[in-house]
Amino acid sequence: MEKLMAEPRRAFQQPVSLPPAPDGRVKIAARGVDVFYDRFQALKGITLEIREKAITALIGPSGCGKSTFLRALNRMNDLVPGARLEGVIQIDGDDIYAPGLDVVALRKRVGMVFQAPNPFPMSVFDNIAYGPRVHGVRDKHQLAEIVESSLQRAALWDEVKDKLREPALALSGGQQQRLCIARVLAVEPEVVLMDEPCSALDPISTLRIEELMRVLRENYTIVIVTHNMQQAARVSDETGFFLMGELIEFGPSSGLFTTPRDRRTEDYITGRFG
Amino acid sequence: MDARRKERVVFGLLSLSMLAVVVPVLLVLYFLAVRGLPGVTWEFLTALPRENMRAGGIMPAIMGTLLLVTGTVVFALPLGVLSAVYLTEYSRPGALNRLIRLAIVNLAGVPSVVYGLFGLGLFVLFLRFGASLLAGSLTLALLILPVVITASEEALRSVPVSFRQASLGLGATRWQTTWRVVLPNALPGIMTGVILGVARAAGETAPILFTAAAFFLPRLPHSVFDPVMALPYHLYIISTQVPDAPPRIQWGTAVVLLMLVLGMNLIASLIRTRHRRARHW
Repeated sequence: MEKLMAEPRRAFQQPVSLPPAPDGRVKIAARGVDVFYDRFQALKGITLEIREKAITALIGPSGCGKSTFLRALNRMNDLVPGARLEGVIQIDGDDIYAPGLDVVALRKRVGMVFQAPNPFPMSVFDNIAYGPRVHGVRDKHQLAEIVESSLQRAALWDEVKDKLREPALALSGGQQQRLCIARVLAVEPEVVLMDEPCSALDPISTLRIEELMRVLRENYTIVIVTHNMQQAARVSDETGFFLMGELIEFGPSSGLFTTPRDRRTEDYITGRFG
Repeated sequence: MDARRKERVVFGLLSLSMLAVVVPVLLVLYFLAVRGLPGVTWEFLTALPRENMRAGGIMPAIMGTLLLVTGTVVFALPLGVLSAVYLTEYSRPGALNRLIRLAIVNLAGVPSVVYGLFGLGLFVLFLRFGASLLAGSLTLALLILPVVITASEEALRSVPVSFRQASLGLGATRWQTTWRVVLPNALPGIMTGVILGVARAAGETAPILFTAAAFFLPRLPHSVFDPVMALPYHLYIISTQVPDAPPRIQWGTAVVLLMLVLGMNLIASLIRTRHRRARHW
């Protein structure tokens, strides 16, 4: 690890196991997106396209707007008083800020994993079953099936299959975060947003989450905000670099990390600031 | 004066002020126990008053207070909790929100006798409930509403924002989030606040004076439209309106009332400490 850090340029080469960025169809399209918090403009004219069944990483220094952009994708910013968005964000061609749009239905399609693991203070089972129950699933067998398959997809089943009735908060931090991922998968989303999902985890747990992301990529569109550039380089197909509310550079991760086009991107990924 | 001497003086002053708080409480408890406890017999707790309240027990007053308190909870709990939910989970910061808060703070500052008069005007006369269990409970509910709202709000706010985000992020509605995640985790705090409010309601005389309390009613109420006897009012009556009432009965009534109120406070703090130990977040 230390040796890799010392040679940043070569460190960011893509692992061979990951196939090249897919030419999949566009899942999410943002055009000229501005976000304001009262008078402060957090995002300035963001335009980018996120591909289906790929991992898109958003990087940049603190306060650059990457998390704001992520939260705009499932309208979590609506919860912040004084937040306002201009421009267009489409998922599968539907404007998600169209008047009268069902935000609840949108959030079912676009799940979110947060920075710190935030399981509910309930059992493992009830955590996973929460989403399906909220969406009207009552049948016990059906719930049990959803819980098992979600935990399996999140690579947590073997560790917790005997602890389903135990409090989720008794699990380790890394297990809690995979539980939160399983909880999101249980509502069958199409897109999974991850807001620095590993920042509160140790390196081993981080590695497991990254492995999990590579597997999930086959079925889900994943957007991840991360502070960790190696992580972005390791797991993502495409990367966007944000700086002071602007999208400086966006493209295949292999290119962005090895031959950045913009000077500011290069300065950031080589550790000159941030 | 050097810093160390100053420290000693300050410490001494602080200790004195602590004593000034603790000693009167202990004295009150001591005198009540010495003079009142001998009078608190099984018969005293379970019998009807006799000989114009100069003998017998205070059972109707105890039951009356318990019924009033129950009625108070029935009205104050849903109203208070729903108001707190509105304030913390639904309303946006702004002029209306500030106005509501101002109203609650002022409601808390209204003297209890004013609540009594209000209850007389609205519930007893205008709505024609008469002096009754119903009118008294409603009046007491209004009295403790600020306490219930404030305590519930605090309890709701102490539930981490991350729980709400997780729930909303899964596509739950605001109400589903409130009902399934926020309220269950706020419940112990809400209960603590409600019990403390109810303990206050149990000891109040002025609000029930015109709305519920019977001077002398040696039976239990048959319906919510019947008046009831109540411990604080009974204590007032036998201390001031009944010549030659034996001190045994006066002190005994005071002890029962105090034990009731202290008991409720004790339950409230038990819930609070148990909950603190049980929660992981």
